[in-house]
Amino acid sequence: MELDDLKNTWHNRSVQAQQQNVTFKLIDEMTQIKYHSKIKRIAYPEIVGSIICLMATIFIALNFYKLDTLFLQSVGILSIIVLLTLSILSFWSLRHLKMINDFNVSYSEALKRFATQKVKFYKLQKVNMTLCYVLLVTTIILLSKFFSGKDITGSNYFWTFSFSFGYVFLLFFSRFVTRFYKDTLKKSEELLQELQP
Amino acid sequence: MDKKDLFISAIKDNESFIYKIASVYTNTIEDRNDLVQEIIYQLWKSFDSFNQKSSLSTWMYRVALNVSLYQLKLSKKRISTIPIDEHLLNNRETDNSENDEAWKLFKQQIDNLNLLDKAIVMLYFDNKSYDEIAEIIGISKSNVGTKLLRIKEKLKSQINKTR
Repeated sequence: MELDDLKNTWHNRSVQAQQQNVTFKLIDEMTQIKYHSKIKRIAYPEIVGSIICLMATIFIALNFYKLDTLFLQSVGILSIIVLLTLSILSFWSLRHLKMINDFNVSYSEALKRFATQKVKFYKLQKVNMTLCYVLLVTTIILLSKFFSGKDITGSNYFWTFSFSFGYVFLLFFSRFVTRFYKDTLKKSEELLQELQP
Repeated sequence: MDKKDLFISAIKDNESFIYKIASVYTNTIEDRNDLVQEIIYQLWKSFDSFNQKSSLSTWMYRVALNVSLYQLKLSKKRISTIPIDEHLLNNRETDNSENDEAWKLFKQQIDNLNLLDKAIVMLYFDNKSYDEIAEIIGISKSNVGTKLLRIKEKLKSQINKTR
């Protein structure tokens, strides 16, 4: 296949009559506001995540009086901080999604926003997962106290398991993230470099 | 001519590009049709805000490319869809089958380009002038020339490798 063949292939790609009918039916639906953009759906997981985090924060705050030692109270405060941070990260991510959702800008500007956000997103993944691990440990401590009245932190097994599991988890996860996102990150950074004036 | 008629006429004039660009940015007929719908919807939604600083066609190309880029982000958040071969095998409502093989080869070459080069080469194939490409993409005319030279070289070398 030559370069001219590529150009010919592009030109020969015709629109079928059947598809044209779909287009005009769609315009009819849009003018009657029956069509709903799928783009808005991208925000749903972020919104649900934020709501869950906020509900958990309220739950801990309401049961805070059950935490009778300074250590358990510190764990409770730490959990609230982590949950609020996760909510803020979710809202921050939503704000950026809306920012990118301006289709009237030039393509290079859209690409720049797209690549910048991607780089930030992947960097944020590491922070996010570390926070999730911290939250996992604090949740186990808090739930056992809230529902059975027991302080699980008195058990040596709990700490041994938590730290060894945490270490293995974070080690494997950071390697996975680095390997998985290495190419994507490299491509995004190269693209940003190319878009520099 | 009312707004709807004007919009339909503008879509008619640029429909071919919208379908082609959607085919480049997606892998299945279902995804392509979704993207076409999304592009037309976004065009309709911002039709009032078209400020005539550029031509209607230039504006439509720009929105179409930006929506496709956004859809890429969206598709990465979803579970992967059916690969194109399997879909073509099971779906009788396919595109012109004579051109399918050539299009597949076309996509293989184009998919190796980065997102910026991909958009530039599509506009070039669509016979857009350097001025129009520069306006749609948002880079200088001389930069378009430089990039196109590099893209052509890259495509040639890719094609030679596949022989």
